[in-house]
Amino acid sequence: MPAVVLAVALAACGGQPAPGTSARAARTITLYTCLSDTSIQPVISAFEKSAPGSSVALFRAPTGQLNARVAADVRSGGLRADVVWGCDPLTVQAYVDQHLVGGWTPPGADAIPTAYRTPDYVGAHLLYLVAVHHTGVPAPRTWADLTGPAYTGKVAVPDPSLAASALGALGWFAAQPAYGVDYYRRLRSNGAVQVGTPDDVTTGVAQGVYAAGMTTANSAYAAKDAGSPVDVAWPEPGAVAVYGPVALATHSAHATTAKAFLSFAISEAGQRVLGAAGSYPTRPGVTGPTVPAGAPTVAPDWAAIGRQKAAILAGYQRVFGG
Amino acid sequence: MTAAAGLLGLVVVLPVLRLGDVLRREGSGVVVATVGSAGLRTALAHTLALAAAVTLTAVPIGTTLALVLRRPDLPGRAFWRGAVLLPLVVPDFVLGYSWSQAYGVAGFTDSVLGVHWAGLLGAGGVGVVLAVNSAPLAYLVVTVGLASRAEPDLERAARASGAGAATTLVTVTLRLVLPAIAAASVLVFVLTLGSFAIPQILGTPGGFGTVTTRIYADLSLGGDPASFLRAVTAALLLVVVAAAVVTPSDLLLGPRLRATRPAIAQGLPQVPRSRAVRWAQVAGLALYLALTLLLPLAALALASITRALGVPPTPANWSLVHFREVLTPRTAEALARSVVLAVIAATVLLVLGGLVAGSVRHRAGRATATLVTLPLVLPGSTLAVALLITYGRWLAGTSALILLAYVAKLWAFAHRPIAGALDRLPPDELRASRVSGAGPLTAVRTVVLRPLAPALLAAWVVCFLTALHEVTMSSLLYGPGSETLAVVVLNSEELGRIGPTAALSVTLTLLVAVPALVLWAAVGRLRIRSGRG
Repeated sequence: MPAVVLAVALAACGGQPAPGTSARAARTITLYTCLSDTSIQPVISAFEKSAPGSSVALFRAPTGQLNARVAADVRSGGLRADVVWGCDPLTVQAYVDQHLVGGWTPPGADAIPTAYRTPDYVGAHLLYLVAVHHTGVPAPRTWADLTGPAYTGKVAVPDPSLAASALGALGWFAAQPAYGVDYYRRLRSNGAVQVGTPDDVTTGVAQGVYAAGMTTANSAYAAKDAGSPVDVAWPEPGAVAVYGPVALATHSAHATTAKAFLSFAISEAGQRVLGAAGSYPTRPGVTGPTVPAGAPTVAPDWAAIGRQKAAILAGYQRVFGG
Repeated sequence: MTAAAGLLGLVVVLPVLRLGDVLRREGSGVVVATVGSAGLRTALAHTLALAAAVTLTAVPIGTTLALVLRRPDLPGRAFWRGAVLLPLVVPDFVLGYSWSQAYGVAGFTDSVLGVHWAGLLGAGGVGVVLAVNSAPLAYLVVTVGLASRAEPDLERAARASGAGAATTLVTVTLRLVLPAIAAASVLVFVLTLGSFAIPQILGTPGGFGTVTTRIYADLSLGGDPASFLRAVTAALLLVVVAAAVVTPSDLLLGPRLRATRPAIAQGLPQVPRSRAVRWAQVAGLALYLALTLLLPLAALALASITRALGVPPTPANWSLVHFREVLTPRTAEALARSVVLAVIAATVLLVLGGLVAGSVRHRAGRATATLVTLPLVLPGSTLAVALLITYGRWLAGTSALILLAYVAKLWAFAHRPIAGALDRLPPDELRASRVSGAGPLTAVRTVVLRPLAPALLAAWVVCFLTALHEVTMSSLLYGPGSETLAVVVLNSEELGRIGPTAALSVTLTLLVAVPALVLWAAVGRLRIRSGRG
């Protein structure tokens, strides 16, 4: 009996603002994101400081859990988020196609490069896919070097079905005439191994299991700064840039505050906080984590990848299994 | 009581039905395509093969442990009886990581001895680690069975008539305890069908996928409705398979599991054995625990204090940086909330488990018992989605929804051990107390609870630990103010570096192991008192 009473009392805890603070409740927005906790928390604190009275309720989960939560919300009364901050354009585009988010971008959006935005959402952070290699191993100058004799049997690649950054890289290579899905076939015949996430690649290279691999810049530099025997290379034609879009929910009940948060996320101040927290900002001119001078970057055509996703993945799975 | 159990069971089974409804309304085309797809068929084949292999490994291990540890003349018996339950204290993702740190490439054995287990990342590794993880559960169920059904007199008679130890074991002991072994097999099989963390950590890098990892990949890859429906179809397929296994076994085993006579205290004199045999058994136990638990946990602890990946784990490279990174006030808050939720969940589950266990004499009660086992096999993310769809309108983001998720998933954990122990009760004493004028509550309190106490405590502890370690559901259902440890764990796992994850795992394991030791001592004392009484 006491347990039942406790359980009922718990139903009141968490999730609902106290009555009598309706004005404040109107300025509390819900944010769904898959951006890492260490990056999103400083941004939220800075926003709440810049707009006193507003607060952000955070739901943070990996992309798969995020998708599941959104799907469940939709079937139980509608999306409960006011702002969605994804980690790759494909996921957010899927929400736009379901009319859950989109339709509005902040006025400051034209400061963000066109490759990182659409009329429905604006990229707020970047992931770069770079090459990480063990310190004793020569740095790959181009991506094609990884299919060469210097790295036979010692290359690791991440799984596109687990990491959107890997899927973006796959999509970009598939669209390049010099590479195509054939690039992965050449990697495979050179002995490359598919592991799980980009972090698994970094771990493998750091531990000496692999000589080199494809991973995110954040993961590689974090390992290097912690003291692991790895180094980072930005191979030609460029590191693949995957942007994380932030979008407004179409039926947001707190549109004013939500729009304010969106504008803050891509503003100079917000992007500076993001850069300091360890994520690459999309806004040019804002300092963020390491980008070597003159390092080349490339941006995939996400619309094309979205259209041909099944075909690209099928071609890939014929090479590495799936 | 049966009606109450039935109603409450409905609360838990309704979400599963709602999921089926979603599939029916939104995409029978997708369902057909998914079920027919080669990928899902392969994943299902892998899952079934894995479940069978793990059951065939874990149940014999558990039975052997139960048989070895029931003899009072085993040196250090009290210690071993606690030690074999240690894997219960370790979350399954911790076990997965620790094995990869101990036996994987560039792991502990690799750097010290130059050998590593190449098959760890793949079907073999997943099977072995899952078996180690499930053996304590099989051990618990078989021990209860041995206590209520073993006949030391028959064994002595067989030995006196000239049968060897092995013959007695096979023809007398195992025969009598077969229903308990079968019950343990069903539980382990169903559990393995729905396991996710270990296949994801050890299986996916080796290309071995199960239905649960496939569901995770489906959800990760697509925010579109088709991917969601594919994931739900795969999950419900698992439930159907589990139902196909559990229902006939419940029907067959149910009557046979009811004990024919009350339990006998374990302190009866048994056929003495030579010292060599006893010490050989101790050596075997020690080797088993060292290889399956001690070494992996030590490797994980080493990873948690090593400064960075790839540097040799020598004392010069030791630092507490990972612990400092992970043990923040937010972690402490999330941990406190997790502990409170787990305590409430375990207590509620005890009551609910008792309700169902008490009602298995009626057909409706048995049906409820089978039904509440089904959410156990649903992968956490799918069950969470089902609960959100069914109750999200009122409970989204609250701790109550997380509590409901724990209750739904773990009901079978609470009900089956209690059902096993309830059989050991002498019904005459209960009847005598009622005839003498005691009300039902007093009768239950004074007659039933005392001998049942160790089983109740064991059920409570298992439910508490499993709820505490639960990651997938809590991380999907939480909202502001109901953030649990699961969120912290996933955050650190997402960061991908072994160090912080290892530090968190070590903290979590220690935090649970110490109270568990205290509880174990308490249980030991209770058992001695109830044995004498």
